[in-house]
Amino acid sequence: MTAVLQVSGLRKAFGGITAVDGVSFEVREGEILGIIGPNGSGKSTLFNCVLGQLLPSSGEIRVDGRRTTGMRPCDLNRLGVSRTFQLLQVFPQLTVRDNLILAGQEHQGTMWSRLCGRADAGLGEAVDRMIAFFNLSHLAAEPAGNLSYGQQKLLDVALAFMAGPRLVLLDEPAGGVNPTMLAHLRERLQAYHAERKATFVVIEHQMEFVMALCTRVLVLAEGRIIAEGSPHDVRCDPIVIEAYLGH
Amino acid sequence: MSRPAALVLVVAAGLAVVAPFWLKPFGVYQLSMWAVLTIAAIGLNLTLGYAGQVSLAQGAFVGIGAYTVALLTLAGCPFALAFVAAGTLCFVIGWVLGYPALRVQHHYLAFVTLAFTTLVFLVLRNEEWLTGGTYGINGILRPSFFGFSTAKPVSFYFFCLSVLTVLSLATWWMLRSPWGRAFLALRENPIRAASLGLDTRRYTLMAFAIGSSLGGLSGALYAPLVQFIEPGSFALGLSFNVLLMVIVGGSGYFLGPFVGALVAVLLPEWMRVAQGYYLIIYAALVMVLMALCPSGILGLVERAANALSGTRKATPALDPKGVEP
Repeated sequence: MTAVLQVSGLRKAFGGITAVDGVSFEVREGEILGIIGPNGSGKSTLFNCVLGQLLPSSGEIRVDGRRTTGMRPCDLNRLGVSRTFQLLQVFPQLTVRDNLILAGQEHQGTMWSRLCGRADAGLGEAVDRMIAFFNLSHLAAEPAGNLSYGQQKLLDVALAFMAGPRLVLLDEPAGGVNPTMLAHLRERLQAYHAERKATFVVIEHQMEFVMALCTRVLVLAEGRIIAEGSPHDVRCDPIVIEAYLGH
Repeated sequence: MSRPAALVLVVAAGLAVVAPFWLKPFGVYQLSMWAVLTIAAIGLNLTLGYAGQVSLAQGAFVGIGAYTVALLTLAGCPFALAFVAAGTLCFVIGWVLGYPALRVQHHYLAFVTLAFTTLVFLVLRNEEWLTGGTYGINGILRPSFFGFSTAKPVSFYFFCLSVLTVLSLATWWMLRSPWGRAFLALRENPIRAASLGLDTRRYTLMAFAIGSSLGGLSGALYAPLVQFIEPGSFALGLSFNVLLMVIVGGSGYFLGPFVGALVAVLLPEWMRVAQGYYLIIYAALVMVLMALCPSGILGLVERAANALSGTRKATPALDPKGVEP
């Protein structure tokens, strides 16, 4: 299998603190990789480096073999790398529909064609399908800010999927979501994964969610990878248990 | 758009067409000033209301546009060409002024643009060889098109109204295109927008440039309207005034600038009876409006319309069917 994402020797230091310390891993096509670790272990910094939000101190990132270190988030996204954020990030005053059109419109045409072309950028049908996929059809014309937290979370994920990305990085998708909604979200993620053969990387605290969703898990502690394997193996690894519970 | 709103719009448009026929010349002048300043406010509403970039430089762009047209037409250049030149020049300067907006936001950006306005004022005042300094520029001619002169107040008013109509339609077109959505995204959440492939840098600069360009076009009409320009007209006061129009009318509402400019142009005249107190009353009114309804007059109208219609939909977020698959 080919690697969609290759991270090698990634290091990020903030002054004297090294948040990510020489991390290397690969994400293979079609897998759902979980990244877990205690608070402050460098998961989010790792994500932000991969996604161009932060410039790594050293190391290299490749997407489909192409070097992307230091690339701007918008250019990375147009290469097919999409993400969700730890905290909700939708556009509250835009309707659900407009949120989704926005998520797709920059992936086609030029600045000029977007000015002169159709208001929905020709994405009407694709948006309807995505809205239906996440059971949000009855809310399509509603400003996103009027949705419940769980519905906004679904919309957030839908935004990340809208442009048909090659790789999706999900930052704590289960955070603050109630169990019913969480089961629904997981089921939708799995359905999308099965349908599109998409590749996911998931940062998550909620162990059950990770166990149920991920095919492989990396464990990060103090900026380093301390364990890797199937969800079950990782859970039983004494090093992992120690990292979580302390010395 | 709802039916009553469309009706109000049609009536307002009709009034704008018939009003000059029973107004005295000064009234027509005021109405022309409204049309001219509305264009500047539309520009700022684009930059601030839609794209969320604070700017205190709109008055300076009106000034740049006004001086460009005054100097060019007095040098014998046809008005149409000078008009386009004013818009283009302000587009370029606005684009450059947008660069700080890529680094700083909110009140810091306000200060950067405020400094720019002061700079433009100083250039207009001190570079006498070009601008005539504090003496300003006199005798700016109103244009003629195909033998049809706009020298009379009423004909110049209709000229301004036509330009306003064309520019509003163009802006409306742009705002309903994917660009409009991108501008809103820039205002609401630039980081998320970038993560969805939006080139936030390019859209920010574009919002600044187009907004400034509209400021310049407003100035291009301002000069032949007043026929005498001097640097003081384009100092900070005008920038604040245009900002006030956008905020009072309703920032982020398409029709906000029209209402805001009407208030800013007419209210001081109507309150002339209050003599020295008029500024105090005006200021108090603005403060009350901002406290009660920060989204401006159109925000207030929207709230009132929602309350009156009484048929508000149940909030879907509370609909139990909404949550479960």
